[in-house]
Amino acid sequence: MKYSYDALVYYGEAVEKGIERVARCGYDAIELIGEPTQYDTAQVRSLCAQHKIVVSSICSIFTGPDRDLVSPDPAARKRAVQYCKDVADLAAGVGAPVFIVAPSPVGKMAPQADPETEWQWAVESIREAADYANSKGVKICLEAWNRYETYFVNRIDQALRLMRDVGRPNVGVMGDTFHMNIEDDSIPDTIRRAGKDLLHIHFADSNRAAPSKGHIDFTPILKALKEINYQGYVTFEILPASADPFGTMKSGGGREFFDEYTKLSIDTIKQLEAAL
Amino acid sequence: MQFGASTFIWASPFSNATLDLADKAKSMGFEILEICVEDPATINTKAISSRLRSLDLRATVCGAFGPDRDASSEDPAIRENALGYLRRCVEIAAELEAPAVIGPAYSAVGKTRMLDTADREAQWRLAADSLSIAADHAASHGIKLGLEPLNRFETDLLNTVEQGMRFLSMVGRDNVGLLLDTFHMNIEETDIPAAIRRAGDSIIEFHACSSDRGTPGRDHLDWPGIVQALRDVNYTGPVVIEAFTTEIKEIARAVSIWRKLAPSQDALAQDGLNFLRKAFHPQPI
Repeated sequence: MKYSYDALVYYGEAVEKGIERVARCGYDAIELIGEPTQYDTAQVRSLCAQHKIVVSSICSIFTGPDRDLVSPDPAARKRAVQYCKDVADLAAGVGAPVFIVAPSPVGKMAPQADPETEWQWAVESIREAADYANSKGVKICLEAWNRYETYFVNRIDQALRLMRDVGRPNVGVMGDTFHMNIEDDSIPDTIRRAGKDLLHIHFADSNRAAPSKGHIDFTPILKALKEINYQGYVTFEILPASADPFGTMKSGGGREFFDEYTKLSIDTIKQLEAAL
Repeated sequence: MQFGASTFIWASPFSNATLDLADKAKSMGFEILEICVEDPATINTKAISSRLRSLDLRATVCGAFGPDRDASSEDPAIRENALGYLRRCVEIAAELEAPAVIGPAYSAVGKTRMLDTADREAQWRLAADSLSIAADHAASHGIKLGLEPLNRFETDLLNTVEQGMRFLSMVGRDNVGLLLDTFHMNIEETDIPAAIRRAGDSIIEFHACSSDRGTPGRDHLDWPGIVQALRDVNYTGPVVIEAFTTEIKEIARAVSIWRKLAPSQDALAQDGLNFLRKAFHPQPI
């Protein structure tokens, strides 16, 4: 298995520190944040080369009305699609093969049109983003979030349906064990159902802390990933326990997510993988 | 073990118009109907008592805590309103011969704020002071209060059993304990059976819910471990299925349920009960 760590939790830290840390802890890759203006892609490439890691993926940030692929406002949808294109450029620029797309922003908790219309907007928006990404040689993975973060797509099965309706070869889905623990009956079975369409996966424990800090049994999950011949990175996206994890980090909380959990996450899962 | 069904499975708000839920719950095999008090004005205790008695069902009473019923509010008028509501719930419980009033009575559901340590401490203090007043009133009616830790997306005050136990010691009243709900525990507890053991004698009621709030058993929870832990702490109180109907948009939205979680609410209750009976009373091999 190849391992990556999401820099999302390295809140407010310069990219070189994150790259140095994940390399030191034994990772193959880092997941960067989908804020294209935040990075100098040449610098990222050179830092990665220096530390002998790669960029696994881009964790796009879908917040607010301008990053809403199902907004009733066509101009807002256009801006959201443009955001995806900018992230595709970032991905291509740093050599990441895939970036995350969530159709509706985090915290938007009520539809603004009927379900069929919103679904169609999602399909059209993602198609346009996907065609652009394809021209850059980059793939998209659709993410489902738990019920408290979005009303739109909560389960992998819903993401798979959206993927099929989009119908583009460079669009797949991703899993996130924190969300799946709330929404999916069985995480391993869901992974098997997604099969070759699972392009990416986030690992976090049931309380969103480092694996071993909650109650998720990662062994059957690793087995399912091996069974489907998963080629992507196991990427740890872990966050402080709060409805607003970034608020916690802004106020100085969540320091254990830097050195301590970066090391603990990969050590825990590598040990389970070795015992398979 | 006595099993119960929450009226939230089918109705919101519960009233005489949905009193037939008692017959439905009885015919499914439940021993308890959990009466959810969203609006005390719709709760006719005489009619409910007489129906439950004729069916040989028992009642439990669950409160609903919105922003105007926030026992931790800085606004004394809101705290007083919360206490007034709790007093009414306690009277309802007494009239229905229910053992306790349960729910997240310490705050308002959906109140998730970033607070520094001092402000957080002040919020706990306000909530604990309110609850000790409510507890004394409840004690005068022979009623207990079961406080429910909720997951991080629903409250910033009590998410875990550990916090719940600390809060109970701040409240310092014998008739206040915890309501544990497996849906929330699945998100917040490191080890659900260990959390149950930690709560021990303080468990006033138990909500047996699936990890997605659908049908208990059609999920990934460690039910044998949960049942064993309840047995280890000699818990013999109500085991209640709490789920929410998606037919009524307001309640579905309030608890962030955006899709049907079972073929029907009847199937959820019946299949859930069948599962729980087997899980709690396994046939000897």
